Amino acid sequence: MKGLPYKIAGLLLILFSLTYGLWSEVPDLPIIEQSIRNLFYHVSMWFAMVAMMAASFGNAIGFLSSEDMARDRRSISLAETGMFFSVLGLLTGMLWAKFTWGAWWTNDPKLNGTAITMLIYLAYFVLRNSIDDPRKRARISGVYNIFAFVMMIVFIGILPRMTDSLHPGNGGNPGFNSYDLDNRLRLVFYPAVLGWILVGTWIASLRYRLRTLEE
Amino acid sequence: MKNTWILVQRYFSQEVRNSNVLFSLGLYLVGVAYLIYLLNGGSIPADKVWNTLLWIVVFFGAIQLSSRSFEFESNDYFHYYQTIAGPGATIIAKLLFNSAYITVISGVTWGLFIVFFGNPVYNNTLFGLALLLGSVGCSVVLTLTSGVAQRTQGNATLGAILAIPLLLPILQLTSALNLQAIVGVPTNEAFNLIGSLGALDIGIGLLAYLLFPYLWQD
Repeated sequence: MKGLPYKIAGLLLILFSLTYGLWSEVPDLPIIEQSIRNLFYHVSMWFAMVAMMAASFGNAIGFLSSEDMARDRRSISLAETGMFFSVLGLLTGMLWAKFTWGAWWTNDPKLNGTAITMLIYLAYFVLRNSIDDPRKRARISGVYNIFAFVMMIVFIGILPRMTDSLHPGNGGNPGFNSYDLDNRLRLVFYPAVLGWILVGTWIASLRYRLRTLEE
Repeated sequence: MKNTWILVQRYFSQEVRNSNVLFSLGLYLVGVAYLIYLLNGGSIPADKVWNTLLWIVVFFGAIQLSSRSFEFESNDYFHYYQTIAGPGATIIAKLLFNSAYITVISGVTWGLFIVFFGNPVYNNTLFGLALLLGSVGCSVVLTLTSGVAQRTQGNATLGAILAIPLLLPILQLTSALNLQAIVGVPTNEAFNLIGSLGALDIGIGLLAYLLFPYLWQD
């Protein structure tokens, strides 16, 4: 089995964050209380998603400069995996929002950013399905992928910083920065991020190999 | 640069020659503005709603326009242009033409809204600037996505599907700037938003310029 060490490392890190994340000591804060543990499961999804989308973007650039079809298969596989993480992130986030903010959905810049990111990548999948010739599909969807990624970064990375948000660390909200510095949280959060990125790479590589076999 | 200018002139003459399209776009703008007036019972909407409605009218007008952006360039025509002008000149000409066109659409819509609903805008210069920057940004996104849609054998709905999510960041920034103009923020205090919108326009314009040649290789 190729890449066995990173797969095992990813699984172990996730296992660690799932178990230790539930019994570790966490800061005791009003309103958020024990749900602060969702930091390990919710926020790590977004880190994994952005990593997958960035890798997909990199492979799209790689395809346009080298015309290597393997790059295109990697690009779409990574985008699909990123989409999977964004669905998980959205679900965990909605649960968290219900318990801390009292509603499943709020008009928050980060939520809007997520919704639009998902629309952008769904449009990307629609675009791919509407072109038959593989080489042409790879080139045209590569162009869209690059453009879409840049717009996504603008929307989730730059716009929320310019407006108020319910999310910590933006706008007038006192923010996670005070808990971010909490080493008890970091101890579980960073391994969770790394673990999900490793497992995401694994999922994407499986999809990539499936595609290669199909063609 | 000379080629670009010739192409822009050519697009304009094409548009003027095809005047029924121009009229249908104008009719759409007047019709929708009047529809809003009628459904609203002749009363004046609140400032925020006024701004939202204005952008919705511009948004669909721009999408309608862009769905025909590459209509006249069936493959043979396009190869002809490509060989004599090159993809760089073509995309710059398209961007200039569409930006001018969408700016005119948004200006006309603003005029119609003033006629029907009055002008709630306090700082007109800033509002005009916001319309201009927003129109340029929209035209970049729409030009690229309609080029993409054209390459999938001219599926016009696909162009809209691809463009709508990408337009939202630009429209959100623009309408934030518009709202500032409505409440009367002085132009020199809105530099933060103007700067980011301008930078976004330039950034995506450059990206479209770099990516466009890849769309048209065969």
